[in-house]
Amino acid sequence: MKRILGFFAFVRDYRELFSPGIVIIFAIFAITLPIVATRVTQEQMGIQFWVFAKQHADAYRPLIEEWNSQQHSLPVNLQLIDYQAMERRMLSGFMSGTPVADLIEVERHMIGRVFSGPLEAVGFVDLTQYLEREGLMDKINRPSFSPWTTRGRVFGLPHDVHPVLLAYRADLIEAAGIDMSRIETWQDFVQTLRPLMYEGSTDGRPIRYLLNIWHTQRDTIEMLMVQAGGGLFNERDEIDFLQEPNVEVLATIATWIGGPGRIALDAPRFSASGNKLILDGAVLATPVPDWLAGIWQYELPDLHGKVKLMPLPAWKPGGRRTSVLGGTMLGISKSARDFESCWEFAKSLYLSPQLAEKFFRESHIISPVKEHWKLDFYHQPNPFYCGQRTGSLFIEQAPQVPRRTSSPFSMMALDALGTVMYRAVEFAEAGKISDPKALEDIVQQLLVEEEERIKRQMGRNVFHRTNLQVKRQ
Amino acid sequence: MKKVSAQLAAWLFLTPYLLSTVVFLLWPLAISFDLSFKQTFGPGHAEWIGWDNFRFLLSDPLFWKAATNTAIYAACSVCIQLPLSLCLALLLNRPRLWAKGFLRLVFFSPSLVGLVFVGVLFSMLFEKRTGLLNRLLVVFVPGFNIDFAWLESYVMVSLVLASLWLYVGFNMVYFLAALQNVPNELVEAAMLDGASAWQRFRHVVLPEILPVASFVVLLSLIGSFQLFELPFILLNGAGPDNQGLTIVMYLYSTGFVTGDLGYASAIGWVLSLVLMMFAAGQRWLVRKLEK
Repeated sequence: MKRILGFFAFVRDYRELFSPGIVIIFAIFAITLPIVATRVTQEQMGIQFWVFAKQHADAYRPLIEEWNSQQHSLPVNLQLIDYQAMERRMLSGFMSGTPVADLIEVERHMIGRVFSGPLEAVGFVDLTQYLEREGLMDKINRPSFSPWTTRGRVFGLPHDVHPVLLAYRADLIEAAGIDMSRIETWQDFVQTLRPLMYEGSTDGRPIRYLLNIWHTQRDTIEMLMVQAGGGLFNERDEIDFLQEPNVEVLATIATWIGGPGRIALDAPRFSASGNKLILDGAVLATPVPDWLAGIWQYELPDLHGKVKLMPLPAWKPGGRRTSVLGGTMLGISKSARDFESCWEFAKSLYLSPQLAEKFFRESHIISPVKEHWKLDFYHQPNPFYCGQRTGSLFIEQAPQVPRRTSSPFSMMALDALGTVMYRAVEFAEAGKISDPKALEDIVQQLLVEEEERIKRQMGRNVFHRTNLQVKRQ
Repeated sequence: MKKVSAQLAAWLFLTPYLLSTVVFLLWPLAISFDLSFKQTFGPGHAEWIGWDNFRFLLSDPLFWKAATNTAIYAACSVCIQLPLSLCLALLLNRPRLWAKGFLRLVFFSPSLVGLVFVGVLFSMLFEKRTGLLNRLLVVFVPGFNIDFAWLESYVMVSLVLASLWLYVGFNMVYFLAALQNVPNELVEAAMLDGASAWQRFRHVVLPEILPVASFVVLLSLIGSFQLFELPFILLNGAGPDNQGLTIVMYLYSTGFVTGDLGYASAIGWVLSLVLMMFAAGQRWLVRKLEK
């Protein structure tokens, strides 16, 4: 009591120190402190569902309303969250045990981080037994599970297939009398179309290029590697840069980008400059997954009636005519309050034919559910693509889509691939090399160097040491 | 009694600062120091690995590439940016210069827009085919290749050019303030003694502005070693062959892309050590020069 009185005496003696401003600040502090301290966060009711794509959220809303109106025990609350914010919240939640949504839609590039710890620390429920028990492993296109599988366990329901076709400027190519249906391999593609690069040129320089690819487009390069049967990781998710076709594919791409045999141009996706180059016809062909074919219809309306789709040229006669780019899954977090309700809702959403139709009509995305592929809406002519039945074209290739890695080191490996490509292109430029065979030794050496570097990084991960690295003699 | 109350009041006033320093600075510093000796997957999974992070860092080619890039950028900042800033300040400090205020605003204004905007602006400027620079060069330089990729062939040059545009005017303000504090009578006395313009600058102005100049050097060095946003936006990552990778970018990528917070902490501590050495070196040098 004496001390308190003493303090007030001090305040009286030094009242000039207590200006009105300080008194106001203290008053605000004194009033707000108990309010903030006693504030109870209202617990959100029902199943919380996070998505990062507006397009997805818009498509899900009617189905969620329908689900909620059917008097299910738990209503579903959809939350649209920015991609990066969602990634941070999800990973922080998984790592620290703080609340996350019951259902989370995850993009392919997010999943590596989720899988980077020990298997028991993955924040999603292992769905393998449920998928097997209900026959969904056979019902859904099998390669679509690969990005969501780690150490043999599946942690998500796939949203898509994302097969890749080649979009080409039919107005320019067919006007030159070229029949694209005769093209079977990348070699045919280059040989048949190369004359178009110089058509109309007055100074002997190319006025357009054949293919939209660059050493900075690492995911497109990886996509072509997996098309050829290679990739950065093998079937056991072990890092394996020197798989059979990798050297040949990368050497070929390097000669496309640099050196006297150049046929490539950099028209990056989602950029104004890239879109302008495509619109101007500066590049004749671009590999497009189903989602990009949909985006073009909205972002590049001036291409209406000028582009067509065809299967990707193969690396060898009779080889695979498609690949895969991008992907999303739906996972159920381990902190979900009612797993059974979440699982039922997830199935009703992702296996729904109505949603498949909505997605195809609005974003051109093909459902991974094989029985949906027979539905009529996939097989209608598309005026944007010169009346082609684009859904049928993507569906024809969907079963051949190659598998992909889910390794937590995939982003690191992709960076390394960018380095290899850049240096290989530099060699092609400096040595004026147009024959891929002449580049193969250099590419191999670069791949060995980068693989060693990644392996050293991987070797440091104490949680992930088991059988991730292939031993090379 | 009065003494005790005064002490109590002092502690009361200091408490908010001390609390926030402990919670937001000292505690995270201690945690990050602890982390630098661990490998973690969230708080639930942490493994003590001793000096492994630091050992790995010494033999990590990407860390050394990032360190080299950062050092080159820092050297360019000090050796190109600061002399340019000083020259501009000297120019704009001339008493009878026309539109002085306007020119000061013009040179200072780039620093108002921020690093992200500059990154976007210069990435569009240096764009192949559609970029303003290549469009101009095609018109004025016969035979110039419109597909020339500045951001692939001259990564560091592009980075330094963008930062010059941003920071020259900013540092000019420090020099200008220092120049305005140089006593006029000293300069006039030197003039009367027949000192040339260079001699006046070397023997009168420079010693007077030395404390500010050394402070600006230190600020530039610290800023350069913390470089992140500009290359991240301008090069859309680390650039081809990691030519634009800086130490803080590498720290970010290991900590938040790869998820290796332990290694990222180790990088952070090494960077702090380097910066502390620079600060100590700067103090030592200034004291020596002042003597």
